[in-house]
Amino acid sequence: MHEIIVEPIEKYGLSKRSRRRTLFSKIGIVGCGYEGSAIATIAILNGIEVVFLEPTDEKNANAFSRIEQKLDKKIENWGLTENEKKIVLSRVQGTKNYKDFSDCDFVIEAVRYDDQTGERHVKERKEVFLQLEKVLSPQAIIASNVSTVIITELASELRYKERCVGLHFLSNIPESNIIEIVRGLYTSDETYNKVCQFARLINHQYVAVAESAGLVSIRLFLIELNEACEILMEGISTVEDIDRVLTVGFGHRLGVFRMADQMGIEKIVNLMENLFNEYGNSKYKPSPILLRLYRAKHFGVKRGKGFYEYDKEGNIIKQGGEKA
Amino acid sequence: MKILVLNCGSSSVKYKLFNLETNEILGSGIVEKIGMKGSCLKHMRADGQKILLEGEVLEHQTAIEYILGVLTSKRHGALKSLEEIDAVGHRVVHGGEKFNKSVLITDEVIRKIEECIDIAPLHNPPNLSGIHAIEELLPSVPQVAVFDTAFHQTMPEHAYMYAIPYSLYTKYGIRRYGFHGTSHRYVSKRACDFLGLDYQQTKIITVHLGNGASATAVKNGKSIDTSMGLTPLEGLMMGTRSGDVDLGIATFLMEKEMIGPSVLSTLFNKHSGMLGVSGISSDMRDIKAAIEKGNERARLALEMYEYRIIKYIGAYAAALNGVDLLVFTGGVGENQASTRTNVCNNLNYLGVKIDEKINIATKGKEALISTPDSSIKVAVIPTDEEFMIASDTYEIVKGL
Repeated sequence: MHEIIVEPIEKYGLSKRSRRRTLFSKIGIVGCGYEGSAIATIAILNGIEVVFLEPTDEKNANAFSRIEQKLDKKIENWGLTENEKKIVLSRVQGTKNYKDFSDCDFVIEAVRYDDQTGERHVKERKEVFLQLEKVLSPQAIIASNVSTVIITELASELRYKERCVGLHFLSNIPESNIIEIVRGLYTSDETYNKVCQFARLINHQYVAVAESAGLVSIRLFLIELNEACEILMEGISTVEDIDRVLTVGFGHRLGVFRMADQMGIEKIVNLMENLFNEYGNSKYKPSPILLRLYRAKHFGVKRGKGFYEYDKEGNIIKQGGEKA
Repeated sequence: MKILVLNCGSSSVKYKLFNLETNEILGSGIVEKIGMKGSCLKHMRADGQKILLEGEVLEHQTAIEYILGVLTSKRHGALKSLEEIDAVGHRVVHGGEKFNKSVLITDEVIRKIEECIDIAPLHNPPNLSGIHAIEELLPSVPQVAVFDTAFHQTMPEHAYMYAIPYSLYTKYGIRRYGFHGTSHRYVSKRACDFLGLDYQQTKIITVHLGNGASATAVKNGKSIDTSMGLTPLEGLMMGTRSGDVDLGIATFLMEKEMIGPSVLSTLFNKHSGMLGVSGISSDMRDIKAAIEKGNERARLALEMYEYRIIKYIGAYAAALNGVDLLVFTGGVGENQASTRTNVCNNLNYLGVKIDEKINIATKGKEALISTPDSSIKVAVIPTDEEFMIASDTYEIVKGL
């Protein structure tokens, strides 16, 4: 039997012309926390290469294992096979250096929320945008994972402002395949259209939303949560019964309190204050119940306690921890 | 006439270059992992030399460029220039109700294949990108589409309809289409030629046991029933596919495990079958090795696999109202004598007798494995879908 001959494939191309990479064959993500890793996972599952940036080796390793956990969860739930996992994981790598974004045509800023205060620091995010502009080609799109009024502000300091756009993934809801695409004042039609194409590539539906606090999804959710807290305070019903009405009655996948615990109470309180400042309407003021949980640092699933109590895997162990 | 056969999958392109005048294979191979890391082209020259070409292949168009590049290269090629290719034949998975035979590809044909994407979302798009790539790279070369479903278009209505609201058939075209048509057509015809039977007067059951598995009842040269349905999931148990299941399982699981349609599809298509039952592998060799080591679930998986085949043969014997010829094909059908034995030993009621000596000696070659006094002839016929695609292409193109 002959030995197998191994050669590079390039010299067998028909034409010498350089091969143009297809749009979005590789994307970057800055910050690979809860939301960043969710976005990364969606992208690699849809065949897109991802490079994510975290400042330290340790954080890089954590981010990688977060992505791996998400895939394992999918295997556990019959959504993926072990072999597919290997292929999918081979598409993602971490970095500490912005230079590794240079061949990306799309980078998403997903700097995480401060886990003490629930804020996302505007200064830090501006810095990310400036760093990205240094390494990216002028055509590359810079997106921010947003739910507040920020994209115009972030874009304003850049040279190529028209390439900035906001995206909002509903990453807290499993299999919620929809993105809110937010056009800032500078966003060009070309940028917007390309991002729509990105949404289709990752098998997500999309809606265009004007730059506004809370967009559609967060604004509706926060109001629903506040009203649910009112119902709770008036002693009309209980945490689990209110959630049951929403899940069984309205067919929501998660009840509003379960959802709040998933998102993190600290983020919610911050978002509500942001909406209150923006719109000036008291309906956006966080309910006293939310503030009580916030002050007690009962932030929800990741702290083991919020409206419900949770074990390490995030399963509910005690119903209705919070009473009016 | 030199004909290139292409089989474009979601992340791979298989190819084989035939010279139909001399019946030679001038080169063959596969591009794997298109659009992923580690993509490569594995080529086999006519002299048997294997070549591995490594490098980035981002899309089907590029893959096909490299295939043409290798075939025309001085080092490993078989062609002086691309002009030597007379025609290209494509495997197209789903032809819906629009195609009952192979056709010359025109804009009209492409449009109809596009219309079938709804019912074959995984398979038809890569088939189409292969067609478009050739259109661009070899614009003057005629292309032919050979459909997996075409052979089964002769099934009667009572065989292809599902007992669900009729409106779903008119609205979405939900019905049984069947697959592996090219293989079933080839082996049923070939078996008759091989045994000197009249294809137009013979009742045949063909069992294709490969990565996917299906059985077909062929009456007088026409498919009258087949085990795969709207999708290639129905029917026999397969490597990772469940085959027939009670649909109640799906709705039960959707509620119990809170899973949606895409997850269900992976569950039944990728986690089930031999792999799902044995927990070991979808590969028959691994299953056999595990059985030898006393693994109970591997044994169960194989027993279920063979039992399903026996059931389907029984059903098709009834559908045909008698059988003259039983044909095994596909990787397992051609190579695994023990499965053929176990299946045939359960067909005594039909008067099947096989010559165990010949059966054991038959691996990947044409053979009659039944005894002279068997009331049904049993044959092994290695399938050759690529050849079938090439010869269909030849038949269509030669008249142009």
